[in-house]
Amino acid sequence: MTPQDFVVRMLPPFGGWLALAALALPGGSPLRGAAVAAFLAAGPGAALVGLCGPALRARPARGPVESHGADFARRSDLLERMMLGVLLSVCAVMTVATVLIATHTFSAWRVLLALTLLTTLAAFCPRLRASPPAPGTSTTRKGSAL
Amino acid sequence: MRPPTTPRERAAPDPAPESSPAPATPDEAAPDRASGPRAPASSESSSPAHEPVTDLSDLPPVWSGRHGPAAVLPGVPLLAALALWVYAVRHTDVSRLDDFGLVTALHPAFWAGLAVLTAGFWFTVRDPRRPGGWAAAYVLGLLVMERATQAVLYPTPLYAWAWKHDGVVDHLLTAGGLQTADQVGDMAVYDQWPGFFAAQAALVRLLGVESTAMYMAWWPLVSSLMLLLPLLLIYRTFTEDRRLVWTGVWLFYVGNWVGQDYFSPQAVAFALHLGVLAVVLRRYGRSGGAQGRQGQAVWTVVLSVLVVAIVISHQLTPGMLAASLLALCLVRRYRGWVPPVTTVVIFLAWCLTAALPFLSAALPDMIRSVGDIGGNVATGYGATPTGTGAVATSWAARLLSGTVLLLAVAGMWRQRVLRHRAMPLLLISAAPLPMFVASSYGSEMIFRVLLFMLPGAAFFAAAALLPEVRTLATGPGEGTRTPAPARGALRRGIGTGGPLLVLLAGTLAFVPSYSGKDRINYFPPEEVALVQRLFDEAPEGSAVVAANRNYPLAYESYGTIGHYWFLEDDRRHVDEIVRRPAATLARDMTGVEHPGRAYFLLTQGQFANSEMNGQLTGEQLNRIRESVAASPRFRLVAQNGAGAVYELRRERPEGTERAEGGEATEGVEGAEGAERGAER
Repeated sequence: MTPQDFVVRMLPPFGGWLALAALALPGGSPLRGAAVAAFLAAGPGAALVGLCGPALRARPARGPVESHGADFARRSDLLERMMLGVLLSVCAVMTVATVLIATHTFSAWRVLLALTLLTTLAAFCPRLRASPPAPGTSTTRKGSAL
Repeated sequence: MRPPTTPRERAAPDPAPESSPAPATPDEAAPDRASGPRAPASSESSSPAHEPVTDLSDLPPVWSGRHGPAAVLPGVPLLAALALWVYAVRHTDVSRLDDFGLVTALHPAFWAGLAVLTAGFWFTVRDPRRPGGWAAAYVLGLLVMERATQAVLYPTPLYAWAWKHDGVVDHLLTAGGLQTADQVGDMAVYDQWPGFFAAQAALVRLLGVESTAMYMAWWPLVSSLMLLLPLLLIYRTFTEDRRLVWTGVWLFYVGNWVGQDYFSPQAVAFALHLGVLAVVLRRYGRSGGAQGRQGQAVWTVVLSVLVVAIVISHQLTPGMLAASLLALCLVRRYRGWVPPVTTVVIFLAWCLTAALPFLSAALPDMIRSVGDIGGNVATGYGATPTGTGAVATSWAARLLSGTVLLLAVAGMWRQRVLRHRAMPLLLISAAPLPMFVASSYGSEMIFRVLLFMLPGAAFFAAAALLPEVRTLATGPGEGTRTPAPARGALRRGIGTGGPLLVLLAGTLAFVPSYSGKDRINYFPPEEVALVQRLFDEAPEGSAVVAANRNYPLAYESYGTIGHYWFLEDDRRHVDEIVRRPAATLARDMTGVEHPGRAYFLLTQGQFANSEMNGQLTGEQLNRIRESVAASPRFRLVAQNGAGAVYELRRERPEGTERAEGGEATEGVEGAEGAERGAER
């Protein structure tokens, strides 16, 4: 892992702990709002995408039939990772908050702490990798000339 | 990058020159932009289906001004548009809205800015020399002008439903847990789909603000931004043509006037819905062999997380998602049952557990509405646009939606190859239509179906607007098709100017469609303050009587304070209230037990909603207010320029009978007089 990879990997949990620390600022403060909003909007999702990234990439993406540009596919993959980062974060916030509300243990601090712990755990976990195809399994598409 | 796996894929042309690597084979050679229309590649004939390939790269020749000042030229219209927008919002007065809402209140600079922005976008997106970032910048500019204008102009959040959701979040924070129908009545439905509200409750506390009203005015912008990445990914699954992608995105935002972007669960659920579709379209297309299953388990986990969040947040979206995913199974390459089965199982699991109380109560009505297409499409009483402004803006909205749908049909008809390639998108667009048969969804089904059809419709509508789309024939050896004839110069000119005019008309029509009813949806600070004062002093067990629910904070403290909106009652009772206002309302309000109190609230938001939706006229509502004000049964609690609050006295004052008898006679005469006046 390069230092740059390490920084990227640790950024989401750092954002979570920073947001927790920002709760010490007065309510309505722009700094507190920015730290909390940035983490909730992207932190947990980014950590989860990082965790599952290699396994997710193992499955080929379907692109336009006329596509030849490697850049186009790379940009599409980047857009996909960004989309998943945001949407999974939103999902994580809604799910964690719902569980706490449903169990009558809700507090905003607990929601943020749970999400930060989840993010930290995801950042430190080894990356998930898809299992390689079983030996002897044909990877040739049925009917293909290849 | 996925290598081309089929002969057709290997053979297809590449319309994005700036992003293409050096071609590996002659078949993969990027077209030479400077050499004009390209001849069909011979290997295209090797397509198994002998399918012609659409080439959307028929663009003007390249010129050498890519660097220096010319590189920032596309930014000039964008900056000019934003400058005009800033000027317009600084010189727009929203304190006196008429029946055209924001349309007549906006400074003319706004319209000029929108026109400059649209023209700038059109010429930029069609230029192959411009980096894709400029198109993105224009779309962001459009979102700012479309979805942030109201947040900047109005001092309070718009829309009674947004205020209702603010009340739900407030209630969750107060209760600290989910409640049942025994505790909160009909409002328990929100406790059975709490995902969005629970997240907002956390956000309010984490930001340290008083309520969601502090930020919910910006939600249309936030939720619209959330749609951008899923939309781009969906479109990029079917084409590499930047023009088609970004024009589709533009048309989607312009055609999305139905107002489901406000502070609501459906706004977030719709973004997640598009996210699921993007994942399924990109990662669940059949590729055959063992690789087809590689990584599928992890993707299914990701999909499940997205679906769970949709299911716990909104009732309708999971149904629409299941319908879309099932429709996708009609295409051979998406005939995998994992996504629809995952969605249906999670949806059913939630419906049969957490949401069972609501569903078991609502099931008889839901079963009755199945098959009643006329009833499901009808918009219901109190939703008939009344008055020149309301009628005109409603027609603008209908025309806008009609235009986008007609363009989509034209795009499908013109673009045979695109229609074939993007068949999954076509199916996704058609999937919501059966919902007309299933339910009326509170008279809103027609708008929801339109919303869920829009991503696909906008894509094909964009295809209709793009000029000079050529269909390359298969190779001479195959001889199944011949190239389309070259277009004439006149036709080329029309092909450029015509679509721009359509795009411009659609973009401008968005404003009346989206903001034309702001007189109903805007509650000035005086109105908010008046209602807040009422709730500040109302003890638990009180009841608030109002004409309708179109006022801010209408659901404040709904766990402890009841409501009665008399315009939603039986028509005969409404007529009785019009004939004998104070006496009838006093009778309706006497059931409130001590220590609760009964309040009568009439505000300008209720006036606007009633007048513009074909309920009572302003004159009739004024007469009701005057009757209550003059009645000894009521006392004035508070009033300001936006309305008044009265409280029903506990003790019946002496002489009330006589006063009410006199009022009854006056009421009848007054009503008859109003009818005669209306006839004249």
